[in-house]
Amino acid sequence: MRDKTHLEQIERWANFVKNNPREKWKPRLNEIINAQYEIARRFYNNLEKTEKGRIILKRLMAERLNKK
Amino acid sequence: MIRGIEDRNILDKFAENFCEIVEKHVKYIVVSGFVAISHGRSRATEDIDMIIERMSFNDFEKMHNELTRKGFICMQSSKIEDVYDYLDKGDSIRYVEREDMLPPEMEVKFVKDEIDKLQIKERKKFIFTGLDIWFSSIEMNVAFKEELLKSDKDMEDAKHLRIIYKEEISEKQIEHIKRMIIELRLKK
Repeated sequence: MRDKTHLEQIERWANFVKNNPREKWKPRLNEIINAQYEIARRFYNNLEKTEKGRIILKRLMAERLNKK
Repeated sequence: MIRGIEDRNILDKFAENFCEIVEKHVKYIVVSGFVAISHGRSRATEDIDMIIERMSFNDFEKMHNELTRKGFICMQSSKIEDVYDYLDKGDSIRYVEREDMLPPEMEVKFVKDEIDKLQIKERKKFIFTGLDIWFSSIEMNVAFKEELLKSDKDMEDAKHLRIIYKEEISEKQIEHIKRMIIELRLKK
């Protein structure tokens, strides 16, 4: 349920991308996206460190294998 | 928390610094996409969503001034009366750290009903995320994603959280929250 400021922000960002060179926004955007994947990966690294975490990890892996 | 200082990336720093300031003034929760990402979902989100308890103008002014002093910029307005007006009317406000408005970005809004109040009351920190941040409970996240949001992405997030917290999750609580969502959000 997004409100009006979300749409305003999409418009603002689209204009920023349109009106600025790629070098100005792309590195920062990459950094933010990479950070999100790092946070996701850290969760799995943390799971590996405890017995309870390793049980959860097994369950997640089993689910992933079931999907294929 | 299972994490060393050296692990902190740009988003960790942004989120934890922001949350640390807010917590001094009001109770908050981080909800939605960032909860899923923090729990290992490999996907991206455009912003971090935060819900805070309702505050008087004077209390909000203190928090906003501290955020501003520490480098956060509100994108809606530089005039605090206007910023508060957004919140008061039920809209969100957005903070970034940079003058050029580049992300990351924190979306902040006031609690809007009894469900949000309950979300804040039952907020949790999750050790495996390695983040010193208050999140809405897993039951809340699952209920919202399955009952209200319902996109493919949300249903996958809910399934992922259900697998992780299989032993701890309360189905009774999820059903209770879903009933609240129907009453307070869907019937209106």
